[in-house]
Amino acid sequence: MLEHAAGEALAGLKEAGIDFVSGLPDGWQRNLHELVEADPEIQYAPVCNEGVGFSICAGAWLGGKKPALIMENSGLRVASEYIARISLGTGVPVVLMLSYRGDVGETEHWGIPHGIVVEPLLDALRVPYLIVRDPALLRRSIKRAQRISEAQLHPAAILISGDCVWND
Amino acid sequence: MNDRANDRNATTPPSELTDGLDRYDWLGRLAARLPEDALVMATYIGAVSFEWAHHTGEHPRSAHLGQMGDVIGLAVGLALALPHRKVMCLDGDGSVLMELGQLVALGQHCPANLVVFVVDNGCYESIGWGPGGRRLSATASSTDLAAMAAAAGVPHTANVTTFDELDAEMELAFTRNVCSFVNVRTLPGHARVAPRQTDGFEDKYRFVRYVEQVEGTQILHLARQDRQLMKGQNPNH
Repeated sequence: MLEHAAGEALAGLKEAGIDFVSGLPDGWQRNLHELVEADPEIQYAPVCNEGVGFSICAGAWLGGKKPALIMENSGLRVASEYIARISLGTGVPVVLMLSYRGDVGETEHWGIPHGIVVEPLLDALRVPYLIVRDPALLRRSIKRAQRISEAQLHPAAILISGDCVWND
Repeated sequence: MNDRANDRNATTPPSELTDGLDRYDWLGRLAARLPEDALVMATYIGAVSFEWAHHTGEHPRSAHLGQMGDVIGLAVGLALALPHRKVMCLDGDGSVLMELGQLVALGQHCPANLVVFVVDNGCYESIGWGPGGRRLSATASSTDLAAMAAAAGVPHTANVTTFDELDAEMELAFTRNVCSFVNVRTLPGHARVAPRQTDGFEDKYRFVRYVEQVEGTQILHLARQDRQLMKGQNPNH
């Protein structure tokens, strides 16, 4: 992410009350992971697998934390098994922060399938989402995702792209 | 070494499945030894859940919320969120095998307040019997889960095959603060109690309400705006 966007994302997480973050760093949100890891108000639990990361976030919520899972949109496919089992099966809220690889503007061939799959998969998992391409909208979008996640006891997602990641 | 190491026949009921502890009996012993202020992450379907709930009287400190591949992950998150409270995880061999990344996370984050007990019966018992007998899991032949947990960085791991060993591991688990993984060789055998009649949503609410009570905190925020309006505060933020 652009540095300014990463800062806005961190501010959004904190204003949303997020105090527990898991995830697997990717090229776009690497700097957000670093900001979160350095923040003393957020407990950071990195994983090697987004599915395990989702389970950890869900367990943290059961213990009173407000969790978010930060990952590339390819990670949603890995996490989907546990989103279905845990959240569709029991009702647990987790904010999902997804890099929208494969969005219009993508430069990498390998990102294209990630873009093709992510929105239908979010729909299949009944996860509402906002696509945020303007850094100025990141902060309030994250707060709104957290609000509906708590109200519906199910994940909500932010798809990050556009001017949050490209300076063209 | 795993003493089941030389039999790789995946369908014939093998002689090695005659070793191990009776599940109902050892779960009862574990339930009796569990500290009153501990929390438990367990499965919510299958014989382990039914028998554990029977032994614990459906006590709300047990979260019957895990399923294949996510029980240890849930327990790691719970233990990290409540580091002052003992958390016990009750999982099965098939579930651990489905998502081995959980062992990596367990070793990586190593919550000192978390102990994992695995019901390792070496087979996929919940799916029933076929003409060739039970379907064996990898732990019946080639895989040593405790060794894998140790390799992932879990500081205390053990394979339990006798009640004396179980007693010793329970003593360690509940009297000290060390992240532990205890694999209990367990005899196959169908559940001795009736299936539970609650789903994951009811189990979730029951557990969360209990955590709210014992921790003195609020986890559920289902009507935040109404609460703020009643206090005369502006909910728009």
